[in-house]
Amino acid sequence: MDTAYYLNLAFNGLVEGSIYALGALAITLVFGIARFPNASTGDLMTVGAFGGLAGTLAGGGLLGAAIAGVGVSAAVALAFHFLLFRNLARRSAVASMIASIGLAFFLRSALSFIFGHDQRVYDLPLTRAVLFGPIRVQPTDLQVMGAAAAALAVVFAVLHLTPIGRRMRAVADNPDLARASGINAGRVMAVMWLMAGGLAGLGGVLLGAKTVVTSEMGWDLLLPAFAATILGTIGNPIGAVLGGLLIGLVQELSTPFVGFTYKIGMGFAVLLLMLMIRPQGLFARNALVR
Amino acid sequence: MAGRIEARMRRAVTAGVSLAVMSLALGGAAQAETAPFRIGALNPVTGAGSPYGPGMQKAIILAADEVNAAGGACGRKLEVSAEDTQTSPEAAVLAVKKLIEVNKVDAVMGTWSSGVTLAVMPITTQAGLSLLNTSGAPAISTEDKADLVWRFQATNDRFGQAFARIATERGFKRPATMAYNNASGIGNTEGFTRAWTAAGGEVVSSVVYEPKRPSYRSELQQILAANPDVIVMGSYLQDTTVILREWYQSGQNPDVKWIIPGWAANQQLIDALGPDVLANVIAVDSISNESAPSYAHFEAAYKKAMGADAPANVYAAMTYDMVIAWGLAMQQACPDTATAAVNGSIRAIDTADGAPVYTFAEGKAAIEAGRKVNYEGASSRLSFDEYGDVTPDFSLSEIDGGAFVRKGVVSF
Repeated sequence: MDTAYYLNLAFNGLVEGSIYALGALAITLVFGIARFPNASTGDLMTVGAFGGLAGTLAGGGLLGAAIAGVGVSAAVALAFHFLLFRNLARRSAVASMIASIGLAFFLRSALSFIFGHDQRVYDLPLTRAVLFGPIRVQPTDLQVMGAAAAALAVVFAVLHLTPIGRRMRAVADNPDLARASGINAGRVMAVMWLMAGGLAGLGGVLLGAKTVVTSEMGWDLLLPAFAATILGTIGNPIGAVLGGLLIGLVQELSTPFVGFTYKIGMGFAVLLLMLMIRPQGLFARNALVR
Repeated sequence: MAGRIEARMRRAVTAGVSLAVMSLALGGAAQAETAPFRIGALNPVTGAGSPYGPGMQKAIILAADEVNAAGGACGRKLEVSAEDTQTSPEAAVLAVKKLIEVNKVDAVMGTWSSGVTLAVMPITTQAGLSLLNTSGAPAISTEDKADLVWRFQATNDRFGQAFARIATERGFKRPATMAYNNASGIGNTEGFTRAWTAAGGEVVSSVVYEPKRPSYRSELQQILAANPDVIVMGSYLQDTTVILREWYQSGQNPDVKWIIPGWAANQQLIDALGPDVLANVIAVDSISNESAPSYAHFEAAYKKAMGADAPANVYAAMTYDMVIAWGLAMQQACPDTATAAVNGSIRAIDTADGAPVYTFAEGKAAIEAGRKVNYEGASSRLSFDEYGDVTPDFSLSEIDGGAFVRKGVVSF
């Protein structure tokens, strides 16, 4: 148990955390603008993973998988915005949340029905790890972290550098004032769902590249992604990413002390501790999605 | 008061009043002898068990046909209702309730994963039905208080003993273990550790890991830090796929060997990773009773029905034996063919001093002639121990020309 051992644990935690972070980003966007906890995020990740499978089968490699996965899950998210969530927008957040739970079950069952329960694997070339000092880094890991960083950059660019982003922030800040100022909330919602779906899809593709693709895979990520969202303050994109990384770090670094079966609980223990000390989350400000 | 009566009842039963006598006393024999005996085939047609489930179901049906062709058991025909467990405990519970309540089955056969069997067991036991399974978890033996559960597969503990035997034969000195956190996974590695340490060896590192993690790098790092020469797994296909890929890609300890149960190290694993990654893997699986005439008989029937070779599906031989053994037990229990009576007669067709029989027709003729029989199964010799568990032989396979090829057999 030397420094190198812990450094490797920390690195593994950051890689896992990057995947949580993508899910958390998707959750936080919906939470900030549509104002309900979207329980179908995990299964949107699964949709993205299957989309990515199509991308690799078409010979696109990991990049093709990412493009196909993001495209498919963004399209699915947008479709269900029009079919489902748009009609519930006037109702309480609970109605939308329950609907999202229903959507989660629907997506998982549909995928199981179409693709069965057998595992599928992205046909990507096997690579060897490279040593960066004491840390063993696999090319896939760098791609995972790079993708999470790029996704965060894109979210920020959209929110802060584009007119639609400014409107999104306005709607997040004060929906009534935004409507009174003539902002088209419908378009804002559509773009938000495209982004949230795409982010979840990207998370699913990365998870699929690291593990195996099954119809159940995303569901298991929903809780850590929610924990990351709450840890980093609901509605705060940077907070979501940092929350995800923190949970990954704490999980892996706790393993020498609590073993590998209780590490998952450690992520939630951090969340509990934080909620007791700072109920508003780590990065609370008065406004959301800023 | 009621409790005291119950305690007295229980004492009476354990004092040796057999279930058969009880059911006679309760009028169990009053039912019509000619009604078909209904078997619920509860197999993993989809899910992780899908490589085996369809063949298991087919084997039950063809065995039932065989019993019926021989005039049935004790004059009763067998009727099969089939359901899919989806290799999921939740789905299996719904399916078994449907079999019991709608199809009115008298016995349930062919549950595959331990999680499914442990979930279904309380329901079948509550209904007074026998459950014949192919699962490995040691807990199934101890949880079966009513002696209604029969296991046609080796326990994980015996798998672990086979692993230890193979590790010894291959001259490994520094084994480490990795177990999936459930009864079956831990049962494998604990069985190995018990057998290995009893022989004076030591296990250099062990990890119990959670299913469906995004990565197993940290788990691997802890195991590989102890510098083992072999890693013994109690695992399933999905986690094995991820763990072996990460080990191969990390480039750490490239010479370490792996001993993995056959339900995880199978053709699907080769499809997922390619044969190069699996060059160091020794796959251990229980095998059928291949030298017995009953196996030759089953193999021919299976090939005709499925168009596939029987050795690829050891579980099909087990489910075939379930029906044949059950049919013979019905014959033995004749004229009372209620579930409880048949359940009580299973050991009677496995008598050490009985005449060995290899097919249903042969066994039926012998029983009708008043002889004691010993059914030697297609899947194993079917010698049930006190828990209703069997001890099959094991094979070890290694990658050869892009597929797992058998390299040896371990018998106990």
